[in-house]
This record gives sequence, structure tokens and C-alpha cells, in this order.
Amino acid sequence: MKGITKFLEKIGRGVGKVVGALYQAGRDSIDQVIKNILPFMAFISFVIGLILVTGVGDLLAKALQPLANNPIGLVIMSLIIGLPVLSPLLGPGAVIAQIIGTLLGTLFANKTLPVATALPALFAINPQVGCDFIPVGLALGEAEPETVEVGVPAVLFSRLITGPIAVIIAWLASFGL
Amino acid sequence: MVQAAIWFIGIFQKGGEVFTSLVTGIIPLVIVLMTAVNALIALIGPERVDALGKFAAKPGVLYIPLRYVVLPFVSVFVLCNPMAYTMGRFLPEKLKPAFYDSAVSFVHPPLGIFPHVNPGELFVWMGIAQGVEQAYGHEAVAALAVRYLLVGLVVILIRGIVTERITAIMWKKEAA
Repeated sequence: MKGITKFLEKIGRGVGKVVGALYQAGRDSIDQVIKNILPFMAFISFVIGLILVTGVGDLLAKALQPLANNPIGLVIMSLIIGLPVLSPLLGPGAVIAQIIGTLLGTLFANKTLPVATALPALFAINPQVGCDFIPVGLALGEAEPETVEVGVPAVLFSRLITGPIAVIIAWLASFGL
Repeated sequence: MVQAAIWFIGIFQKGGEVFTSLVTGIIPLVIVLMTAVNALIALIGPERVDALGKFAAKPGVLYIPLRYVVLPFVSVFVLCNPMAYTMGRFLPEKLKPAFYDSAVSFVHPPLGIFPHVNPGELFVWMGIAQGVEQAYGHEAVAALAVRYLLVGLVVILIRGIVTERITAIMWKKEAA
């Protein structure tokens, strides 16, 4: 009898743990959607509406198109966004990358841009990723203050080199798309 | 006046249409996928990544891909943005900037397949992806998502190596 009770208890606990984890996971994802995803979708929808209806989109498209429709232009874009002076300013919340991405998205949607430039474009809009966050990120890794002092400029300069490299690799990787 | 009013409200009608298509098209999938992955991570236990962190801290050329590809991938996948950067605590001081650079560069490339890693910045991927989907179809987006992830892995390896070198050079200058 005792054996059976123990066995049942074990199963009960196991199931409880799994169901609990699943339920908590569901709660976490709904939280994320409400707190992070939906607000940004609302904001992006407004921007897209504004762009499409006012014709600002056409102007921006004309400005961005020469940069975005060829690999050299995209490399230049990544160099500009990755400048050590600009990159920490463009970083926060990845808002700039998300807006430029959405703008380019409207250009892909009407086939102004070929699909082959989508992959390099994803890297060209994002050489500044995390540049605003270096001291905090290093502190999360329990880095000493001296490490932060060296680490911030090291990462910023490194992006000037690796930003364009990323675009070129992405361009090479998009053959056959 | 009436024309102006129609034009004005048109902006928000268009915006509303876009919003509806985003909510019905993207949110359900993201919710279910995020729930599944979050549950999986909770059941495996995020603390197990620690063992990998200690292992990747070893010196030697062979550990470079482990430190700048495997460790960032696993930490970003399991711990997500921004807790992934805490894995830097297992590395020696001189390697921390390189690991941060590598890890932070990987919070967007998986978004096409694993949106749970950074749902707040989904549109770095989604902005371009939804345009591509409209014009070139679902298969093009899937191919793009896979390539974004794979190229991301190559890029974080290069970033790790380059930043490690630059940090080493600047460290010497600082000491001198």
C-alpha cells in the first residue's frame, strides 16, 4: 500500500511541476505580448499608416533606395550607423533600427527592393546593436570598472570593422534567395 | 474641409488595418511559440547554463568558437535579453567586452524562429520580414529567417575575435 501511495504522490508532483511550468510560461508570454509587443505594434502601425497615406514614404523611399538596393550602399549605411559617436545614441530600445527596418519593409512590400538585399539590409540597419548598453551589459557580467573603461571604446571601434563585414557576409549568404 | 477630414482619418484607418493584420497574423503564433519555449527552459533549468560558462572560460584557440558562438547562442536562447550578459561573469576580465559584443549581437538574428529571446525588439526583424512576406511569399521569409540566424552565428564569432584583439591592444596602452 505504502509503495502505491508513494508512486502516486511522485506522479502527482511531476505532473504538477510540468503543468505549473507551462502555466507560468503562458503567463510570461502574455505579459510580454501586452507589455512589449502590442505597444510597439501600435506605434509601428501608426508610422506605417502615416507613411503610406501622406506620401512621406515615397520621399523616404527615394532617399533610402540608392543606399538600400545595392551591397555598397548597405555597407555605407552600416558605416554611418556604426560610427562610434552615433551608435550609442541610436541604440536605445533598438527603436531606430525598428523604424528603418519597417520603412525598408514597405519598400520590399512594393518590390522596389529585390529580395536579395533583405539579408544584408537586416545587418546594415543594426551595427549599433547594444552600443548604448555596454556599461550595463558588462556590469551584468560582473566586470571591474577598469574593464568597462577599456571595454566601451573597444566594442564601439570593433563595430566600425565588424558592421560592414557583417553586411558583406550577409550579402554573400543571400545568393539563391 | 471634408476632403481634409477624410484624408486625416485615412491615416488612422490605414494604420488600423496594418495593426489588425499584425495582431492576427503574428501575435497568436508568437504567444504559443513563446509559451512552449519558456516552459521548456523552465523545465530544463536556466542554472545549467552555468556549467557551460565555466567551461568556455578556458584559454586556448579551440575554445574561441565555444566562447563566441556556442556560449552566446545558449545564453541568449535560455536567458534572453538582457540576462544573457550575466554569463560574462565566468570569463576573465579581458574577455568580457568581447563576450558582451558577441552576445548582444545575437539578440536579433534568432527572432525569425525564436521570438522569445527579445520580443520587445521584434521589429528589427519583423519590419523587413513582413515586407518580404507581402511581396515574395511565405517561403522567402522562412529562408530569410534561417539565413539570418546562421549568418548571425558567423558574425558573432567575428565580433568576438575582433573585439578580443582590440581590447587586448587597448589594455596594453592603458597599462603603459
